[in-house]
Amino acid sequence: MEAKRLFNVARKEFIDHITSKKFILILVLFLIITVYSTHEGIEHYENRLEKYKERLSQTTGEMGVEPGYYIPKKPSILLIFQMMIYPMAMLGAILTIAIGFDLITKEKESRSLKSLLSHPVYRDEIINGKALGGILALVFAVGIAFIVLFAMLLIFSIVPNLDEFVRIVLFGAVTILCLLTYFSIALMSSTISENSGRALIYALIIFFAISFAMPVVGGLVTESIVGEPPEPPALPKYGYVTPPPSGVDENAYVVPVKEGGMPEKNEEWQRYEEEREAYWEKRRAIREVFETFSLYCNYDKVAESLTDPYVSETYTSWYRSGDTTGIHESLEKVWKNIFALVILPFVFFAIAYIKFMRMDIR
Amino acid sequence: MIKTENLTKEYNGNKAVDSLNLEIAEGDIFGFLGPNGAGKSTTILMLVGLIEPTEGKCFINDIEVARNPLRVKEIIGYLPENVGFYPNMTAEQNLDYFARFYAMMDARQRKKRIEELLELVQLDGVSQKVGGYSRGMMQRLGLAQALLNDPAVLFLDEPTANLDPEGVFQYRKLIKQLSDEGKTIFVSSHILSEVSKVCKTIGIISKGRLIARGTLEELKTELSSVGVENMRIIVETIEPMPEITHGDIINAEYDETMRKVVIEARSDIRDYISSGLLEKGIRIREMRMEEPTLEDVFISVYRR
Repeated sequence: MEAKRLFNVARKEFIDHITSKKFILILVLFLIITVYSTHEGIEHYENRLEKYKERLSQTTGEMGVEPGYYIPKKPSILLIFQMMIYPMAMLGAILTIAIGFDLITKEKESRSLKSLLSHPVYRDEIINGKALGGILALVFAVGIAFIVLFAMLLIFSIVPNLDEFVRIVLFGAVTILCLLTYFSIALMSSTISENSGRALIYALIIFFAISFAMPVVGGLVTESIVGEPPEPPALPKYGYVTPPPSGVDENAYVVPVKEGGMPEKNEEWQRYEEEREAYWEKRRAIREVFETFSLYCNYDKVAESLTDPYVSETYTSWYRSGDTTGIHESLEKVWKNIFALVILPFVFFAIAYIKFMRMDIR
Repeated sequence: MIKTENLTKEYNGNKAVDSLNLEIAEGDIFGFLGPNGAGKSTTILMLVGLIEPTEGKCFINDIEVARNPLRVKEIIGYLPENVGFYPNMTAEQNLDYFARFYAMMDARQRKKRIEELLELVQLDGVSQKVGGYSRGMMQRLGLAQALLNDPAVLFLDEPTANLDPEGVFQYRKLIKQLSDEGKTIFVSSHILSEVSKVCKTIGIISKGRLIARGTLEELKTELSSVGVENMRIIVETIEPMPEITHGDIINAEYDETMRKVVIEARSDIRDYISSGLLEKGIRIREMRMEEPTLEDVFISVYRR
């Protein structure tokens, strides 16, 4: 493979994309939604900021913070970007599938592929060049969207700090990674299909399957494997098994207290709580396996982790604390999703590559 | 020079090309004839490095195609059957895209070469995108793209398809000119008249096998002896004629006035016919024998 020939193909593909009507049309739509979502996000952020200031003024006296008051955390401007996750993924997917679904079928239909291959260029240079051209077009589209977004932030006098800026850049990178997966799906569909119509149908089916169907399937499989959650015992949670006196409501039942003052948890309840924890842990583990194959779930988790610095993770679930997490921790807790986001485009691209290399040119 | 050694291509166990052995000298214009599905295009695709042979080898100027496809593509030009281009680009943009793959052409050389070629195929000054081209215009642009790198060996698959008479005339002129420059030209076609007009040597392929090879005259003689055995004699008289009888006559078709007959016979019986008519005082307006054309030979060979 020679870089000059590869870049020749990529250059042509990139120009084709950014000058095509469908790309421009979807990009304009993409930007309109970006502007709208950003505006919504900014409004949401400013409301939160207003409330924060109000609360701060209530908790702060002449001598500083009044003792005993909880000091609220200042809202992050990353809230604005949380509003972008869904539109970025959905419109980005449409844009990406639109530019990728006919990359190879169009060449077959116009019979230009045979003309192209009769000149000194290897097949891998063509498929890699097409992929590179498409990726550059996506980076271009996402880049424009982020420039518009930053411009809007500046118009509203919102300036991110360094941590926020890095998180925004990483959010952009993850968005490109997500779109790259959609692009590789579209490219693969285009390579395995006889014509552009079929390629579009295949791309949409795979898109829906790995974006939305996988979590649903995961839910169904989980239900069938783990079954119903354990039932709680028909006993009061604390105290000894003593039937309440007749005419006394069980809820109003006075729990006998052991020596030491604290009521003791019933043994059956203890067992039930252990079983319940194991049940939900198993359920979560199975669901997670399926969600790892769901592109949208992966993107959503990584993007949310990056754009919500107040989200931390325990070994079973995420929770919001008042403390911010570092970028490293934000990425670490979603490493499986990041790994899936990196691997999936390679898998689809590898299929497209192998198929294209073996394609019968007649 | 083009050479193939037992070149074979199989698709699902069926041999599209079967042990093809060919040798085409430098500067030759070789016509590769055969009906649709005979294996012509498959042979060309192997020769230009677009598909790999199942067995055997092929060489262009002593370079083995399957081993060095890019080196071969540097020195050949190929006009595919029903050539296609990028419809969203102009002719100049299409040619420039292809020309960028040739290492020896810089931007200035590319521009100059493209201008020359567009003028040659009479597409200079056409600014519309290729998507709006007629099939004839596409074919002419196809010829221009095949000549981009000034190739030593040129492969043309059904080159006159879609061309108007002027286009065909220009094409023939160009082929002769390129041959005079010493280029080897391989023309694949199922149109015999076209091949016979421009080609110096001809090969006939049927069911993937080369069944005849030689100059036009050699081929005609060779195939006449094995292919078309009968001849047609056309007789026109001024007075109505009686029915002509002879042991070698296979069939005779008279017109309603009995003044014209087309006789299919096993041998040349013109002397016998003229003597017979003269004896009966019937004046002959015209008598001629139609020798089997190459087309007849061609068809009879295919039908065997």
